[in-house]
Parts: sequence; C-alpha cells; structure tokens
Amino acid sequence: MTRKALKIWFPWVLGVWMIVVIVAAFFYAPPAQGFKGESSRIVFFHVPQAWVAVLAFCVNLVASVRYLRRRDPLDDARAAAAARLGLVFSVLATITGSLFARVMWGSFWNWDPREVSIAILLLVYAAYFALREMVPDEERRSTLSAAYAVLAFVTMPFLIFVVPRIYWSLHPDTIISASGQLRFEMESRMRQVFFGSLMGFTGLFAWLYTLDVRLARVRMSRARREEV
Amino acid sequence: MRGSSLLAECLAVLGKEVTAELRSRVALNAIGLFAITTLVAVAYQIGPYQIAEEDRPHLLAALLWIILFFAATSGLARVFVKEEDSHTAKTLRLAARPTAVFVGKYLFNLVLLLALYAVIVPLFCALMGYAVAGVVGLVLVMVGGAVALAATSTIVAAIISRASGSSTLFAIMSVPLVLPLLVFLIRGTRDAAGSGDLQPVLASLRAIVAYAGVTLITSVGLFRVVWND
Amino acid sequence: MVLFAAMPEISITFDRVGKRFGSRQVLANLSGAIEPGQVLVVVGPNGSGKSTLINIIAGLMRPSRGEVAYRDGEGTLPRARWFEYLGMAAPDMAVYEELSARENLRFFARVRGLHRSDAALDDLLETTGLPRRERDRPVATYSSGMKQRVKLAQAVLHAPAVLLLDEPSSNLDEAGHELVARIVQDFRPRAAVAVATNDPREMAWADARIELAG
Repeated sequence: MTRKALKIWFPWVLGVWMIVVIVAAFFYAPPAQGFKGESSRIVFFHVPQAWVAVLAFCVNLVASVRYLRRRDPLDDARAAAAARLGLVFSVLATITGSLFARVMWGSFWNWDPREVSIAILLLVYAAYFALREMVPDEERRSTLSAAYAVLAFVTMPFLIFVVPRIYWSLHPDTIISASGQLRFEMESRMRQVFFGSLMGFTGLFAWLYTLDVRLARVRMSRARREEV
Repeated sequence: MRGSSLLAECLAVLGKEVTAELRSRVALNAIGLFAITTLVAVAYQIGPYQIAEEDRPHLLAALLWIILFFAATSGLARVFVKEEDSHTAKTLRLAARPTAVFVGKYLFNLVLLLALYAVIVPLFCALMGYAVAGVVGLVLVMVGGAVALAATSTIVAAIISRASGSSTLFAIMSVPLVLPLLVFLIRGTRDAAGSGDLQPVLASLRAIVAYAGVTLITSVGLFRVVWND
Repeated sequence: MVLFAAMPEISITFDRVGKRFGSRQVLANLSGAIEPGQVLVVVGPNGSGKSTLINIIAGLMRPSRGEVAYRDGEGTLPRARWFEYLGMAAPDMAVYEELSARENLRFFARVRGLHRSDAALDDLLETTGLPRRERDRPVATYSSGMKQRVKLAQAVLHAPAVLLLDEPSSNLDEAGHELVARIVQDFRPRAAVAVATNDPREMAWADARIELAG
C-alpha cells in the first residue's frame, strides 16, 4: 500500500474501528465478576489510555536521546509531539481511573500507588511543558527539555516498580504480574474487545503523533525557506 | 597538560562555593529561615500532643520530610542561578571542566543539606515529641536522603538556571522526580524511629541508595549538555 | 609578563558562520581566520554582532550556520576542549564578587589544573596595575576599572594559545588601555588574538579586520 493511500485510508479505518470497539465494549462483552455493576467496562478504555500515556513517554525518551546526540530539530518536534499526547492521555487515564474508583470504592482518590504513578506522569509532562515555556531560545529549549525527559525517565522505574512492591494496592490485579508473565483472567469476548481497544488507542496515538510531526516538518521547511 | 586531577578541580569548585556562601550566607539564610519558620508553625499548631498515638510514627515522619524538602527547594537552586545572575557562569564555563563544576556544586549542596538535617531533625524531635528508637538507622536514612536529594536538586538547578531561574520552575520540575524518593525516606524514617533494629530500615535504604546512584550517574552524564550551549 | 609554557600554537578558522535569534539574523555568511602572530579586530556598531561572533568563536554559542574549527599542529580539536586553550575577557564575564582578586586567581588557576604559587599570582596582579592593598579585599568593593583588571588577569593566567578580548578597554583609564595594549603585544607572537572593539586605538592593532554592518 503506498504511503499516500495509507494517509488517506488510515483515519477512516481507525474511526470505524473505534466505533466498533466502543459499541462492543458496551454490548458485546459481558460485565466482569467482582466489579460493581457495569463498571468493569471502563477497563476497555482506562487501561489503553494508561498504556498510551506510557508509550508516549517512551517515544519522548527515544526522541529526546536522539536529539541530544544529533541535534536535529525534527527530533525535538517528535519529542514534543509525544509529550503533548502523553499529557492528554495521562489526564484521560487519571479521570477514567478516578471515576472507576468512585464507583468501586466510593471516593475519587485513594492514594493507591498506581493511581499516583499515572498522576505523577501527568506532573512530569506538565513540568516538561512549563520548562519549554520558560526558554525562548529554540536550541536551548530543545536541549533542556530533552535532558529533563531523560532524567524523568530514569526515576520512573522507582515509582512504577519499586514503590508498589512496598505498598499494598487497592488496584485490581494488573495484567502483568510480578513474575513478568502475562496473565489473563478475562473471558474470551472481553479479551477480544480489550485488545481491540488497545490496538485502537495505539492507532489513535500513532495517527495524531504522525500528524503533529508532519505539521512540524512543514513549519520547519517554511522557516528555512524564509531564511534564504 | 593539566597538572591536577579531576578530584582536585572538584574540590576547588567546592571550596569556592563554601567560601562565597560563608561570606554572603544567602542560601544558608534562605534554607535555615524557611526550615525554622515551618518547623515552628507546625510545632505550634500540632505539637507533641495533637496527633493520635497510632498515627504518630508515620505522620511525624511525613511532616519532617515535607519541612526538609521544601526548605531545600528554597536554597539549593542558588548554586547555579547565582552564577548566571552575577555573570560568572561564562567565566566558569571557560575555566573548568563540566564534570568538575557539577561534582563541586553537588558536594556543596550535599554539605548544605547535611547541615540542615543536623540542625532541624533534633529540633523537630524535641518540639514534636518524636521518640526515635533507632538513631543509627535514622542517621543512615538522613545521609542517604541528602545524597539523593542533592543529586536531583543540583541537576534540576542547572537546568532551570539556563531557563528562567525561577524557584517555582525548580519546584515544579523537582517534585515529580523526587516523590518516589520521599516515599522511601518517609518509610525509612518511620521504621528507624519505630525500632532500634536496622532490618526494616534496610529495604528503604536499598531503594534510597539505588535512587541516588541512578540519579547521580544520569546527572553527571546530562550535565555537559545542560551546561554548554 | 606571562609564562608561555607548553601551549601549542592554535589557529582558528570560521567558515560561513551565521547566527539567528528567533527571526532576527545577527550574523550572516562570515568567514575568516585567526592565526598565531596575527591580531584579528572585529569592528561594527553596537548590536552588529561583535560579541556574538566572539562567543561563537569561543565555543560558548553554536552558530546557526557554518562551522568554527580549532587546529593545532596535528589536527582539529573537539569543541569540548577549546576552553583549555582559550583566554577570554568580555563585559558579561565577571569574576566572583565575594572573593578577593587573589582568591579569584587562585581559584581559576586551581580549576584549570594549574600550579601557580601565590607569588606568581601576585606578580600577575602587579602587572595589571591592581593596587596592592586592594588585592585581598572582595571584588565587590572594587571600581569597575579594577574589576576589569582582574578580569584581564583571569584571561591571561594560563598563558592561553587563543586570546579573545571583547571591548577590553571599557571601564579603563589611559593606564588601563596601555595595559591592554601590552597584553596584546605580549601575546601577538605566539597566540591567536581577536579583539572586538569600537575604540580606534585598538582598531590600529589589526593585522586583519572584519567589519560587521548593523
């Protein structure tokens, strides 16, 4: 499939896919045991959002490291694009997680370590953009925010892996257990919808990210032409 | 060509920082005043009697680290911000190796933090009636905390000094990075205060040391790109 | 005046260097060289980019376009090492105000990995004309002329192979201007010297000139 054809068709396919996922989440998959009422359906949205937030963080890291090595402004544009989407998705994940917490345990916030991790990821993104706002010089802005991204990435494992180990968690058993093996306690229809949603959200991230980077490329080449 | 080692150069930077700070005392005053004021406010409101017995170990540990952390944010950024403000940064950039600059300033922040802890922690325990059973454990946690916090604070200070230099930005950037560390520190302090046995403190200490190591190594690596344009 | 110890001879070339800040183009398509035995003078009105060019040559700033290269006898030097061979004085490069002139020089010597005895540092301060009784007082108490002398001392302390002076006689009286002239004469034979200035007396030192338009 040519690149151009992909550019045209991908958003439509993605749109249809997401509609199917949303409908299936409510009508096709059964509610899970152990959850209050229909509230388990939020898993189909909450987990993929959290996953995308983390994926965006990783993309940001790779782009940041590449920028520090090659000083290509496009890498900085990539890092910023990933961070923007990461911010949006971590906000979404925090909100959906909070709504779920309200239904299940009666309060919007419980200081559960995983809840806190996603909120801290949100704070990291916010700090990343606060830093960028404060640096007028483009190259310095790119360098400093890339450095901060690397620093944040390096401290994240402590938050995600070490802290929960020390604390009891309210959070439902996550998919990846301590032994690192994927465990599925979902019935087959749920699993289908869940993976469908995961792929859909990842596709959404990929599409929005590509658009953002393409826009940055156009801006950069226009600026270069104006220079000459 | 160089007649001295990196260590000697780091110590030269440390010596310069200490001398300059002892004469101007800006960071010392900022940190000290902040810590004392907050401590007095907390002690006055809460004191030794207002917290229920079973909540005391954890709450007091948490309060202590909040005071110590925010006192630190009021003064640790100065090592770099002052250089940019007084236009000595360029002179230093052309005179010293980046690693020497970072390590020297890191050591200075470390000394500042240790001095802060040495004064505030006993005061806190006295004013709040915080009975500490394991002093050795507590000292280890404090030292580990200082080593780790100084690392994060120094690199973040370097970054913000090249941005706007504002202490708000310093706080915004430090908090998400330091939160996991604070969890370990509070837990370690609570366990150390609770019993003389070092065993329960070791888990937290391991995490603190790991965090410090990772942050220090990353910071030294990142500093060069932050310091030079 | 200074000990020309083991510094190699360094020549600097800059090729099609340009610099823009946001939408403002400050420097465009500048090429040139600074050779040992030569003094390059950069002239131009305020805001024409003299300091920017000096900063780029010093490696303190990256050019938006073009390249700067330092060559010793054997090859090009990586940018991370330029500062070891460089001495620079500029209006926005201060020394530490809480320290005295002596303490400043002692610090800069140590941090550059140099062994300079207090006597040697004192001799250096003597040649800059800084009054003896001031040398142990904090720089904050100095006049701007005295501060400039300390800055110049810091720039030549390590007998650099490259000397960059941005408006060196600013804040200096006639005696101070003579000091700068003497420094340039001492360094001219062995070092690559560049001076950014609007002072006609300094422009007279030029073996090569770059004129920047506003």
